[in-house]
Amino acid sequence: MYHTHSKREFSIGFQPQMQILRPSIHSRRANLMVKFQDLYGFAVEGNVDDVNILNEVREKVRQQGRVWWALEASKGANWYLLPHVSSLTEGIALKSSLKLSTLTNAITLKRLIRKGIPPVLRPKVWFSLSGAAKKKSTVPESYYNDLTKAVEGKVTAATKQIDHDLPRTFPGHPWLDTQEGHATLRRVLVGYSFRDSDVGYCQGLNYVAALLLLVMKTEEDAFWMLAVLLENVLVNDCYTNNLSGCHVEQRVFQDLLVKKCPRIASHLEELEFDVSLVATEWFLCLFSKSLPSETTLRVWDVLFYEGAKVLFHVALAIFKMKEEELLLTHHVGDVINILQKTTHHLFDPDELLTVAFDKIGSMTTNTISKERKKQEPAVMAELDQRLRRLNSVKMDDDK
Amino acid sequence: MATTANKNINAKLVLLGDVGAGKSSLVLRFVKGQFVEFQESTIGAAFFSQTLAVNDATVKFEIWDTAGQERYHSLAPMYYRGAAAAIIVYDISNQASFERAKKWVQELQAQGNPNMVMALAGNKADLLDARKVAAEEAQVYAQENGLFFMETSAKTATNVNDIFYEIAKRLSQVQPAPNPSGMVIMDRPTERTASAACCS
Repeated sequence: MYHTHSKREFSIGFQPQMQILRPSIHSRRANLMVKFQDLYGFAVEGNVDDVNILNEVREKVRQQGRVWWALEASKGANWYLLPHVSSLTEGIALKSSLKLSTLTNAITLKRLIRKGIPPVLRPKVWFSLSGAAKKKSTVPESYYNDLTKAVEGKVTAATKQIDHDLPRTFPGHPWLDTQEGHATLRRVLVGYSFRDSDVGYCQGLNYVAALLLLVMKTEEDAFWMLAVLLENVLVNDCYTNNLSGCHVEQRVFQDLLVKKCPRIASHLEELEFDVSLVATEWFLCLFSKSLPSETTLRVWDVLFYEGAKVLFHVALAIFKMKEEELLLTHHVGDVINILQKTTHHLFDPDELLTVAFDKIGSMTTNTISKERKKQEPAVMAELDQRLRRLNSVKMDDDK
Repeated sequence: MATTANKNINAKLVLLGDVGAGKSSLVLRFVKGQFVEFQESTIGAAFFSQTLAVNDATVKFEIWDTAGQERYHSLAPMYYRGAAAAIIVYDISNQASFERAKKWVQELQAQGNPNMVMALAGNKADLLDARKVAAEEAQVYAQENGLFFMETSAKTATNVNDIFYEIAKRLSQVQPAPNPSGMVIMDRPTERTASAACCS
């Protein structure tokens, strides 16, 4: 556990700053854009409405906290961490000895998590429900410490790239963009690059790990969250050599868009707009570069409990929310502008998640897995063909 | 499809190059007139648009600024497919980035739109003391491969607008010709042929 003390100070330090966010009379009158820091210290630019929404969101977070507290009081502390409750996602009924109370608890938990985990409980709830705690428990207590010590001073392609990206990860953030922030993020990313040399380091993970650091109380827990995310939650090979897993997810997403939002899909096809142009970043950074921080973390709340299918729900919802506007576009540029503006201003997580879960319709992890299986051969063939074409080009003049 | 009347040209432009060569910085300088020392690393690609007036034409650039890390290479075709222009960026203080730039040129020559206007940008031209790639070497390479070459600095703004302006000029000249591209893309046989031009 490194820097626990300062991390705590850091997270507390942000709380009051939201209070000062009352837009001044001037900005109210002129409807000016105001710059401010959000709950997690990110600089945000928004109008008065955005500020008001953020204040409402804060209030909702408080209310949601009270709901969690009340449940703890009635069901006992840590009720949601009981293994039989937490493993009951996706309605997969576990074997025979299923008690009714367990089932109700599981349903309650799923609903509760979709409404948001209070920020103070996030580290604990994420750590257990994602499987990170279990993963950590299978190795010696000193694993992370030993790992970071063992790799200290080693230089690899991954470490070079990490060093290059440290100051380029949410630059200007009051904690991440400090010496301490850089050093902490570096240890997590470098540590992971040695844990899984197939992944090593892939750009995009810097944003994911940075946000994990801001949420989890310690860098060690952030490390395990990153591990469980890459090894269990997300589809395999999202970040390895040619990002094949990411290519597969994109094809699945294109198919889902046709099924779930057929009007948008056919309009975009007419414009020759490939949704992967924008969705690739969403999937690789898990929305951390596009959505406001609390909205991103609300997506992650569900991601860690329900799995990677959540990314499809959310990506589809972003399109769905702007259906009418998107149908009026004539240019690729307009489509992107609408999507960018929408994601950057989604300060109300419930607005997004309601669409994601109520309007998109259900998709089981099972159907998504089947979709992936279906797409895999085509992706592999395409990547392979491409590689061969490039190699034949190289042979002409290289070495 | 090609609008010859008022010559409003919509042109897809892609930036390719090694990680840290300054692709995003060039775009930021061109689109917003800004420079920041540490530019957020680009994931997948970032989109920008900017309009330039040249002679009797207005060129609206739709710019795709791509991620530089090697493994992102596999995503690149999505961004250069149908592009009317490309800027291949290297860092004059980094020899490896120049080698990488050549690879991009080869790939575009083999896979891209054959009428694509290609520019080679030797960026970070302000770092004279750290120079590893001679301007002459790049110039010769560019000439041999049908690119035009400029050394740029996103930091000092040297040649940044110029390189985009030069591309716009070339695009407006090739414009009246029907179907600037006759390419056939293997996996998308129905690809629109007049990719550089579209009425706005």
